[in-house]
Amino acid sequence: MILQATLSGIVMGCVYALIALSLVIIYKSTDVVNFAAGEFVMIAGYLGLLLLDHFGLNYPLMVVLTVTLMFAFGALFERTALNKIVGFKYAAEAALVPMVVATIGLSFMLKGAVRVIPSTEEVLRLPPLFSGPPVFFANIVLQRQDIGIVIVAVLVMIALTLGFNFTAIGKALRATSQNPRAAALIGIPVKRMRMMAWGLASGLAGISGILLSPKLLMTPDMGNVVMLGIAASIVGGFTSLVGCVIGGIVLGVVQNLIGIFVSPQAIAVTPFFIIMLVLVMRPNGLFGEAMRLKKV
Amino acid sequence: MLRLAKIHASYGSVRALDDVSLEVGEGQIVCLLGANGAGKTTTLNCISGLVSIPSGSITFDGEDITNAGAETVVAKGIVQVPEGREIFPTMSVEDNLILGAWLQKDRRAARQRLEHVYDMFPRLKERARQSAGTLSGGEQQMLMIGRALMARPKLMMLDEPSLGLSPLLVQQVFEIIKTIHAEGMPILLVEQNARLALNVSSYGYVLENGEIAFHGPAETLKQDQKINEAYLGV
Ligand SMILES: Nc1ncnc2c1ncn2[C@@H]1O[C@H](COP(=O)(O)OP(=O)(O)OP(=O)(O)O)[C@@H](O)[C@H]1O
Ligand SMILES: [Mg+2]
Repeated sequence: MILQATLSGIVMGCVYALIALSLVIIYKSTDVVNFAAGEFVMIAGYLGLLLLDHFGLNYPLMVVLTVTLMFAFGALFERTALNKIVGFKYAAEAALVPMVVATIGLSFMLKGAVRVIPSTEEVLRLPPLFSGPPVFFANIVLQRQDIGIVIVAVLVMIALTLGFNFTAIGKALRATSQNPRAAALIGIPVKRMRMMAWGLASGLAGISGILLSPKLLMTPDMGNVVMLGIAASIVGGFTSLVGCVIGGIVLGVVQNLIGIFVSPQAIAVTPFFIIMLVLVMRPNGLFGEAMRLKKV
Repeated sequence: MLRLAKIHASYGSVRALDDVSLEVGEGQIVCLLGANGAGKTTTLNCISGLVSIPSGSITFDGEDITNAGAETVVAKGIVQVPEGREIFPTMSVEDNLILGAWLQKDRRAARQRLEHVYDMFPRLKERARQSAGTLSGGEQQMLMIGRALMARPKLMMLDEPSLGLSPLLVQQVFEIIKTIHAEGMPILLVEQNARLALNVSSYGYVLENGEIAFHGPAETLKQDQKINEAYLGV
């Protein structure tokens, strides 16, 4: 029972970790907490369903197209809305609050837009990546879709690790997030990099949406799952990608254990509890670098 | 080679540069002196395309690069070594250097360039795998110069390279500036240490409150009474 709960916690934790990664990539590259990340997850779910049901795409094609469209959407939002707010290029500090407000605005807009579509009033369900009878393993039951989630999440994490550490573009993204001024001065196109970071993060949210939608009830409010992503990133101090993964998994497992040992009602408050606990005990998270002080 | 003609710049309503004209010729070291807040960094940032200028023009090698954007300016061959410790702290020293060659499409040439930079800064080679943030201040300054060299510049601009360094390290940095210059690189050098700067330069400009207050051959400036009083502490 405990083992079973732990395993299913790890599964959910993998998805929380992906959402956390999406948040942290944006935070590190543009200093903005993207409060619309949950809605990105949500629209990716609906988009996937639309592509499958309405346009009759097969599953793999749907995944590719959804992630691509989400990438484009995130990049476009950065280029059209945020870039305008940043105004002059390297004085982003002054515009932080408007940028965060813009992401909150976007989250309400997306939610509102989805609600307008009549069929979203009922609870919909996206079919999972892998379906079929569960796999039995000693006295543990593993759902195929859960195995799928873990495999996809791990592959994505490996791809990100390799990408950020060993490719020229990944290094340029990191350089831009660490020091945009210095990056610009060696000819790295900082604006394009910021756009790319948003695209990448939105694509990640898209993958999370496809993984999560079969497990949760799809509603326009499903974006609330962002709190779990935020909790997972806080554990990682909002700067560490490894911290996000560990944070997500710890959160998933703790949630399930609390569900067993405390009460199922307590599950919903777990992320807030963890956020508070981490902020009080270790304000920089368990893996974070010391928060950078902003020059004013 | 590089020519600024009557450029103006302001931050919001704060005027930072007023009618600044200056020129760096082929193979020259030209220094730009001035007190804190005079507008030296702003001048370099206008050239680098980080600060846009509402009027005036900047030309390089006969081409107009006014408000061309940072990427284009680097591509044209002007690279700035900024003031302070502007490195990528959690990346390795080698990654910092390789990023300097971001616009070099030829990876093999970039490798060769890296060896050249390592020859010039053996210390960086020893520290190649270490993360850049763990380097000492002097080493970080060397790293920034090395990173700029990786871009194969045709003209280098250095913003207060002696800032915060011990006298011995300042000597080393100036030796390196001379070495780079001896290879034929024109340099625009921003300094508060006027005496040192004038010793290596052939021409100098002095900024005061965003305006060029004096300019002339370095020898002449060193003799000048007013400059001596204001900047050389005589
Ligand atoms: N980003 C900015 N926003 C607003 N004002 C600025 C900004 N950067 C510089 N200034 C102002 O412009 C003027 C010139 O600054 P600049 O940095 O060019 O001086 P500097 O000569 O490089 O000084 P220092 O020797 O201290 O580096 C100063 O009055 C400064 O306060
Ligand atoms: Mg300065």
